[in-house]
Amino acid sequence: MEFMIKEKIKQVKKGDQAAFEDVVAFYQNKIYQHCYRMLGNVHEAEDIAQEAFVRAYVNIHSYDDKRKFSTWLYRIATNLTIDRIRKRKPDYYLDAEIKGADGLDMYSQLETDSPLPEEEVESLELKSYIHHEISELPPKYRTIIILRYLEDFSLKEISDILDIPLGTVKTRIHRGREALRKKLRHV
Amino acid sequence: MNCKKEAVELMHKYLDGDLTKAEEAGLIQHLETCEDCQKHFHELKRTITWIQSTGQITAPSNFTQNVMAKLPKEKKRVSYMR
Repeated sequence: MEFMIKEKIKQVKKGDQAAFEDVVAFYQNKIYQHCYRMLGNVHEAEDIAQEAFVRAYVNIHSYDDKRKFSTWLYRIATNLTIDRIRKRKPDYYLDAEIKGADGLDMYSQLETDSPLPEEEVESLELKSYIHHEISELPPKYRTIIILRYLEDFSLKEISDILDIPLGTVKTRIHRGREALRKKLRHV
Repeated sequence: MNCKKEAVELMHKYLDGDLTKAEEAGLIQHLETCEDCQKHFHELKRTITWIQSTGQITAPSNFTQNVMAKLPKEKKRVSYMR
């Protein structure tokens, strides 16, 4: 598959737009899923995932074919999701406690996202709870937890995607796991 | 072994596949005697299993077509220009 993608990218670089369709079709579920998990909202996920592919196409000449295309594509998508998260709530931090609300933070004031129809009914409640807890993590931890455990990237690959040192990836994954452990231990 | 720092740090190194043989032996030995750490370790592993169980999501239908429709107009093929 990696070879097929490499060939398609070469064609795209030569100006063959139609070849890009196969690239999008191949990565659409992965990138859409990544955006959904980062953003926790289907509309934003679709919007940002589409934008990621458009950016990849427009900037295809800056992609170095010696590197993995998926890493490059995930980097674009991740950066776009983080930009979107930042733009969403410019006036306050979500995890800041509300004064006088007795420990309630802004998360508890937000509506939860509607569950996806694809999810199975039997464990829907638990799954959406876990998903919600992941989506409440600060973005720098959330990104790494998602890339590692839902998208199965190695820590080294994550360091490439995010362009941060491996040591930082490790520190963040430790903190992300601890944060989730605390949230999920009583379930 | 200091539970809060040392043992938990080793658990995370274990989860990242970074433990040396000696560290692994030390962690196992500690877990055999410390119930709190056993619980902590179990919770961490269960957390990971749960994260991984949240299932796959597929892109909406027409996703690819929608992306293709948003791309800037195709430039003339290089091969024709030469």
